[in-house]
Amino acid sequence: MKVLVSGAGGFLGRHVVDRLCERGHDVRAIIRPGSQEPPWRGRVEVLRADLRVCDDLVSSFDGVDAVIHLAAATSGSEDVQFASTVVGTERFLEAMTKSSVKRLVHVSSLVVYDWRRARTIMDEETPLLGNPYDMGAYTIAKIWQERIVSRVSQSNSWNLTTVRPGFIWGARHTQIAGMGRRLGKIYIMFGPFTRLPLCHVKNCADFLVTAAEMSESADTTFNLIDGDQIRVWRYVIEHARRSGGMVVPVPYRMGLGIAYLASLTSRILFGKKGKLPSLVTPRRFESQFKPIRFSNRKVTKVLKWVPPFDFDECLRLSFPSTRKAGVPPGTND
Amino acid sequence: MRKLAGVLIGCGAIAREHLIALAELGTVDVAAVCDLSAARAEATAERFGVAKWYTSYQKLIAEIRPDLVHITTPPSSHFSIARDCLAAGLNVLCEKPLTVEYSEFVALKELAATNGCLLMENQQFRFHSSMKRIQHLVSSGSLGDILELQICISLNIMGAESPYIDRNAPHFSLTLRGGVIGDFLPHIAYLAYMFTGPVNDVRTVWKKHIPDTPLTSDEFRGIIKGERTTAYVSFSGNAQPNAFLIRVVGTLMRVEANLFEPPRLTAKRLRPGEPALATLVDGIVEARDVLWGTVAGFCRKLAGTSSYDGMRESIAKTYRALELRQPQPIALNEINEVALLVDRLTRSDLRL
Repeated sequence: MKVLVSGAGGFLGRHVVDRLCERGHDVRAIIRPGSQEPPWRGRVEVLRADLRVCDDLVSSFDGVDAVIHLAAATSGSEDVQFASTVVGTERFLEAMTKSSVKRLVHVSSLVVYDWRRARTIMDEETPLLGNPYDMGAYTIAKIWQERIVSRVSQSNSWNLTTVRPGFIWGARHTQIAGMGRRLGKIYIMFGPFTRLPLCHVKNCADFLVTAAEMSESADTTFNLIDGDQIRVWRYVIEHARRSGGMVVPVPYRMGLGIAYLASLTSRILFGKKGKLPSLVTPRRFESQFKPIRFSNRKVTKVLKWVPPFDFDECLRLSFPSTRKAGVPPGTND
Repeated sequence: MRKLAGVLIGCGAIAREHLIALAELGTVDVAAVCDLSAARAEATAERFGVAKWYTSYQKLIAEIRPDLVHITTPPSSHFSIARDCLAAGLNVLCEKPLTVEYSEFVALKELAATNGCLLMENQQFRFHSSMKRIQHLVSSGSLGDILELQICISLNIMGAESPYIDRNAPHFSLTLRGGVIGDFLPHIAYLAYMFTGPVNDVRTVWKKHIPDTPLTSDEFRGIIKGERTTAYVSFSGNAQPNAFLIRVVGTLMRVEANLFEPPRLTAKRLRPGEPALATLVDGIVEARDVLWGTVAGFCRKLAGTSSYDGMRESIAKTYRALELRQPQPIALNEINEVALLVDRLTRSDLRL
């Protein structure tokens, strides 16, 4: 199978390309013009293009059987993220409509769900966020990206698989929002007993390749996590143990109470216009730290997929301090 | 009473500031928004409760007859959009710079005059609360004679995630004469012109401090000799922290404000009596002004007040002029003088 991967130069993209190669697929990887030279010399067809501005995206679909669409911004202002994630996707899919490719695997995020309406468990049936505009730039962009992907796929009768991973982590990307906040050497963790929807980058890459290969995944949405047995305290302590630092636990309800108090004060003093940092905005606080369960049931049931790496193995792969002596950090990811 | 109707062409970051200001005004009905990206147009319409969205401005102006068209697209498209709107007899409020080339502005000016349309450049810092306080000090005579004006912008355009140096998608301002700095020169020019009056001479220094970037220059210094006073103006893409400092030196007082951090404004005036005591009093007064201004500025941020202080008034005055059929808030001739000054600043080429 020949697979086109957008966002291939990113953290997840590099692992997806590696996994596709391991599984014997031909890969065409789109990376940004300014990205570093990727390590796939001779094995992968590399196309340098920025989806926001490239005028010749149509030819990138030539001879392709399936597309894994990963391109998205994870930082920057609202305008920058919307342009990279949504406008880039809009242009990319417009080019795809001019090709004969019908198979698309799109990577979304758990942020598209309405965390407030998720009662005890978050699964694929949890309602999506209807009004994202008081959330962060990443959430707004991912919601609109998914809307665009879904609409264009429907109108072109493509076989779409939407994957919504949890917190993607791995070597050199071990700081995740659900940990809390790091202030210098101090980790403030909110809700130490909250389950973390972790998704190791190697597990994620393996699933995306599996989804692209299996026709059963078409027209389906999957939430993707390693499992939800790891709680915040375990992850933060493992992290702090390897990178140094002191851990200060704050109960979830206390943190949320502070957020509500700040929100109420803001409303009294400044009305609806008041602005607060995301940590003391109740909806945003909930979307990072809400103590609910996360289900991996659908991926197991439909695709019979189980994460190939367990938590201890993922830890070993992700933290340089656990590497064998003499092996430079980052060489075994 | 009928609400005036406005439309926006361009749905980027600055359009959001226009829409926030319009929502606060409450006297204008935003009839439609337009962007080349359907997703961006639709998202903007959904967010601000705008009934219609378009991806073609030609279609928009053919279907809707708004009282005012806000042009909030990148500068290279201003001329053609403004020309088509004016040709259709529509009033235009355009983001700065109104045109990339001065000759294009002249063409638009003539078209606006021929068709009896309003043609405004959004010069929002003119209406900034700190600028109004400075102007009050000037008009009341508290500053005495104005001897010098300093305008210094420091902006981190060289940071790792700065869109200005993004090699993947070149920033729109790179097409302007003066590059990124050229995008900020209109602000510098209209503020300087408010004090200098008609310009007699201009000298500039352009410099590239960091070599390996797509920018033509990242440092700019200029002297503007006007009929009323002289202005020293600068833009630094490397100096930190970010600031938009304006300092007016008079025969009786010096006043300084950071337009990025309203309402902080400090003044030093000539005090009679023992010099040592006057210095002490000055220090205490300045400390009080800084403390009050800083706390008030922090509260403004918590209150969600837009960092684009002056935007709402700029837009409100434009609609007010349309409603009452009054002259536009900034005379077209003055916009012309400012455009000419920007042109002179970018053509003056003592490059180091």
